[in-house]
Amino acid sequence: SSHEHKLNFKKSKEVCLNYIQDAMLQKQWKRAAEFLTFYIESLEKDYSREYMGPSEMIWRIGTEILCHHSHSSMKEFNSFIEQMKTLGVKRYLKVCLEHAFHLLCNGLIDEAYQNLSLAESWRFGEQTVIQDKEMKLIQAYRGLLDYYSWSKQKNILLEHDQDGFEDLSVEQEMHSCFRKAAVNLKEIIKIPGVWDLFVKCYVDLLEFYGDHNEARQVLNEYAYNSKFPANPNAHVYLYQFLKRHGESKKSLISALKILYDIVPSHELMIDFHIMLQKSKKRKRRRLGLEVIFAALDYAGWKENVKAWSCLARQVKQIVISEKHLDWIKQEWNSRKDWWPAFHFSRYLAKRNWQENESLSYEKALVAGILLGKDCKYFKYVSHQGCKTQVQRFRLLKKFVNKHSPVYLRISG
Amino acid sequence: MEFPDALFPSYFGAGPPREEGGPAPAAGWGEHGQVLEAGRASRQAETAFVPRRGQMGESWEHADAAAVPFLPPNESCCIPLLTPQDILYRGFLRRKLRAGKSGATLNFTKQLGHFFVDHPEDAFGSLGQLLHKNFYLGNSKLTVSCLSNSTIRMTALMEEIARLEARRGCPQQYLTSRLRWFSHLCRDWLFEVPLGLLADCVHEDLLLQWASLLFDDSLTGGALAWLPPRDVGAHTGRLVYPGGQAMNHLYFQDVVLKELPRARGSPAQFELNGRIRQVAATRVDGEDFVGIRSDYHCGVWRVPGRMGAAPTPLQVIRTSVPASCLTVSPHLPGELAVCTQSGAIYLWNVETGLQLLRRDPQTMFFRDHSPWRWSDFTAHPRVLSCADRTGVQCLDSRAPERCCFNLFKAGEANGCQQGERVVLPMYLGRAHPSQHLIASQFSVYVLDERLPLVPVLKWAHMMKDPPLFAHLTPGGPGRSHKVLLGASRTQELLLLQYQGERWGFRGSQSACQLVGPPQKLHSIAGCLQHFPTQLPHRHHLLQQRLSAPAAGLAAALQKDGPQESLLVFQLSEAGDVFCQRLTHEAEAELPQEPCASPPPSPAVPSPAAALRYRRWLKALSKGCREHPGQACPHTFSQKRLFTRKELEWPPGPSDLHRQVRQRLRQAMREGGCIQRWDPPAPQPPALLEPAEDLDPLSARLTKAWSRDWGQWWEERMSFNMAQRQRALRERRRRQKRARGRRSLSASFTSSLTYQSELSEPSDAAPEPLPPREGSPPASRPPASPLPDDALLSSQSLRSRGIPKERRKTLRDYLAVWAEAPPEPPELPGSQASQLCIPSSQSQLSSASQPRRKRPRMGF
Repeated sequence: SSHEHKLNFKKSKEVCLNYIQDAMLQKQWKRAAEFLTFYIESLEKDYSREYMGPSEMIWRIGTEILCHHSHSSMKEFNSFIEQMKTLGVKRYLKVCLEHAFHLLCNGLIDEAYQNLSLAESWRFGEQTVIQDKEMKLIQAYRGLLDYYSWSKQKNILLEHDQDGFEDLSVEQEMHSCFRKAAVNLKEIIKIPGVWDLFVKCYVDLLEFYGDHNEARQVLNEYAYNSKFPANPNAHVYLYQFLKRHGESKKSLISALKILYDIVPSHELMIDFHIMLQKSKKRKRRRLGLEVIFAALDYAGWKENVKAWSCLARQVKQIVISEKHLDWIKQEWNSRKDWWPAFHFSRYLAKRNWQENESLSYEKALVAGILLGKDCKYFKYVSHQGCKTQVQRFRLLKKFVNKHSPVYLRISG
Repeated sequence: MEFPDALFPSYFGAGPPREEGGPAPAAGWGEHGQVLEAGRASRQAETAFVPRRGQMGESWEHADAAAVPFLPPNESCCIPLLTPQDILYRGFLRRKLRAGKSGATLNFTKQLGHFFVDHPEDAFGSLGQLLHKNFYLGNSKLTVSCLSNSTIRMTALMEEIARLEARRGCPQQYLTSRLRWFSHLCRDWLFEVPLGLLADCVHEDLLLQWASLLFDDSLTGGALAWLPPRDVGAHTGRLVYPGGQAMNHLYFQDVVLKELPRARGSPAQFELNGRIRQVAATRVDGEDFVGIRSDYHCGVWRVPGRMGAAPTPLQVIRTSVPASCLTVSPHLPGELAVCTQSGAIYLWNVETGLQLLRRDPQTMFFRDHSPWRWSDFTAHPRVLSCADRTGVQCLDSRAPERCCFNLFKAGEANGCQQGERVVLPMYLGRAHPSQHLIASQFSVYVLDERLPLVPVLKWAHMMKDPPLFAHLTPGGPGRSHKVLLGASRTQELLLLQYQGERWGFRGSQSACQLVGPPQKLHSIAGCLQHFPTQLPHRHHLLQQRLSAPAAGLAAALQKDGPQESLLVFQLSEAGDVFCQRLTHEAEAELPQEPCASPPPSPAVPSPAAALRYRRWLKALSKGCREHPGQACPHTFSQKRLFTRKELEWPPGPSDLHRQVRQRLRQAMREGGCIQRWDPPAPQPPALLEPAEDLDPLSARLTKAWSRDWGQWWEERMSFNMAQRQRALRERRRRQKRARGRRSLSASFTSSLTYQSELSEPSDAAPEPLPPREGSPPASRPPASPLPDDALLSSQSLRSRGIPKERRKTLRDYLAVWAEAPPEPPELPGSQASQLCIPSSQSQLSSASQPRRKRPRMGF
């Protein structure tokens, strides 16, 4: 009966797909391609009401095979994709977008641009949410390519400028590129998402034409709009922008303070710490200590010499001045139960000494002050250092011995 | 650690997942995802782009044809694992029960039956004694003189029960009225334990068993761990695995990494009082800490740095609710995270004890019934991730009541599909201190703690079963990180590569990219074909053993000059450890041709591997012999059906017998049942020919001579009629076909043709004069001496010495086989679709079907 026929057809379709899948997962592209030619038949009697129809599967599988098959060329790839575009209306934009990506990754930027422009003019009934998103992305990528051609023209113009003559046509083309890029880029960065690339390009365009207010607004929006994800890069871009335009220390610090609140392990925390250290305000220096302690909590910072030397320097300063020992005490309180095992174990002393002498020096200083001169880390490193007759290790030992009462005040 | 300069573009939504979905078979292929600028060499150069997915990766090739046994078979071989067939209804009853219902039907009556048989004293003790006098079990007739009137003879009932027993598993099993009547009478009072209550309890337990058969999350994380060698150049590491009949022995085995890894010496062994569900190991400060999770106990062992030093147990904790997770901190020695099914998460320090971080039986983001919880460590040693099926949160153990941040939500923000759930989270600290892998049943995600909720990588893994095990092999500078994903029930193993490395000329950290196509590794079940040929039942046992669900995954990276190899160990639930080797040539990868096809993996195992297969098999069969009885194939005695005399063949077997025997053998070979005893399809037309050889007059005279004239006449009439009918039908069909060709839609037929089709014989029957199904053999026309009739005729039965009263039984018995073939037993999920290869029966019946029926619409 027809029902049985349908079932059998469905079954053999599934079996065929399994074969294809198996071959692809074992990188047998030729075999997979052979099976795919049989699978094409599934398009003819497509009874499925499933989430992913055979036309999409054929597109996906075919693309993957053509990317890896030893006898495929760009021409074949293009003609395959053109066929796929006509196959499924629902996925037209997605196929176009992926096609453009493929062209871009193979350095065919002009072809990709044409493709994106063509896709942009496509209309079919009412758009679904996904199609709407895809269309926005297509426009954004086209804007991005416009930006790249703009920056190319700009470079040509700048070179000509140096040579001393003007080229009006290039300048005009450049401006038209700017307009096209700006319209599309502006559109996408309004929608919540991660748009690092687009934001950077758009801000670059605005800055070139001197629209700093707009640029600042865009960056502020990108960093502080609560609908957007907490993207550290958004804050970094804002900080870099402020720095480029010579903004006040205060605004730089407040930008970095927010970054510190969301990502205490960001690499800019060193800059932040140094900036705070230089400040005359007590509150800021206090924050500086907090920042560097917090950064060193993270596993990724464990062997960061720069961070350890920052901490060592500030701790040393505080100990010598004997002011604000309570700052150290407060920071140390929440860490004294796990920092010794995390940072100052004997095993790490040995390894740090072998791998990075200056790291072990900085760490030993901190360990000696925080844990006293009987701490394993300090003992091992200072012992090794004195054995090899290095001057600074002898001074280190002397310093820690001299300030041993500090340890009691911190731990008490 | 630096944060990437720019991330791949992505949308960020909120709320529940919008995208409808389900397991899509090809969802992971053919997508680049997004592209990002790769940086330029100089100002003038063209911009280069890198895709999120699709760049070339390293090539890792199989060194052997299949997985190879690494250790001798575990001694548990005689305890068969639970299969769907054990707890589901099969055949007739299932079909009846399932009419209109979907889903599995649990066979709790069978389990109840087991209870009554195994514990008759508990089940019927007192009433049995009371009724003892009133039941007579003898064979002879009851005489009024010796017994009172209140005694009934149970022999017939016993016989029926015995017959039922003999037919166990037969698709045509049905209850006789006598049994039904008896059970109806006794149901309410015969049992000591209230039947309803008992059945409820059994059913409840079976439901749990069924759920764990469909998806067993107690295995999450896997019970296999590799402790790498101390020094980079050393070749001896340690494998930690469970074993023993109840999988409650913990072994630490020294392993020498060679071409084929070899166990060295005997393993250090610990006996625990529970099945080991998970083995987790991490190296901190040069020492390995191994956490062991069983249902109600968790323990931690320390393996000192020195080679050959014995592992020492450090501490054990007991939980009142089964634990669902145990992870070992990569930051601090002797620190672990424990979760229980009550929703509690503890930070466990060997020195300071347990610290409760959270106890919440509710799931985090939306309601999900699963009590499964997981916890792992993060880049900050005091911050723990905690996961349930709905997502992952990060908790600060210094202020646990205050939630730190949400890392992953099964919702629109992560681009999840509807119904997607977290299956396995893993901290990828060895590759990157702030990255986490999160696997769902559809996709794998890589998340960065510094940018929570936005996956830096997402890929649909297309695995048939959700991945429960994962292993990370970090790559050095300029290399990709290798992630192995393993599923339990289907034993799937997938190798993925991703990288988040410096690229281009900017020298900044790049965003994560998935590189190279995913690669499928050998499964344990795949090595079946490389074992020496076995007797069928042994082969079946071996197959069952090898296809036991996977229970763990571990991998070891070994460097030997330019060649690197990745040894992948896989543990099965039966306790067997298999391994396979993947090799990678360092020189080949740099300017790799994008299209270079990989060298084919060897098709036959190396001699060393073949030797291992033989040895393993020998050890397995030896182990099975030590437990006789259980390993034998299931047989049932024929004694209850026929005596030996009845089954004796006459001295010279006739053609018919030979034919029937051949058929029987064929059916046995194909594992089907004998559907029809008629000869193959082309034969029937030939049967009629002898009648046409003679002219009608001579035929009539011949018959009249043998006093069969009356029958001849009837035959002739019916034959003519059948012939005319056939001719008529043929004509109509021709007309119909002609019409069909002209009309656009072949799927429509007029009501007229439909009528005629209705009057046609059923498909499966041979062309002329089909025997009506279900009609007794005697009523069939004698003109077609079908073999079954001959076999079942009273004469032939008598000639075989089968007594009269048994003939009916035999006929019934054989008639049973003549009915529809059994449906294959229902298997959960996708497995069913793989196993549903058309059986030999359906091929046979379609072969005997001369015309193809058209699809009919609307009927």
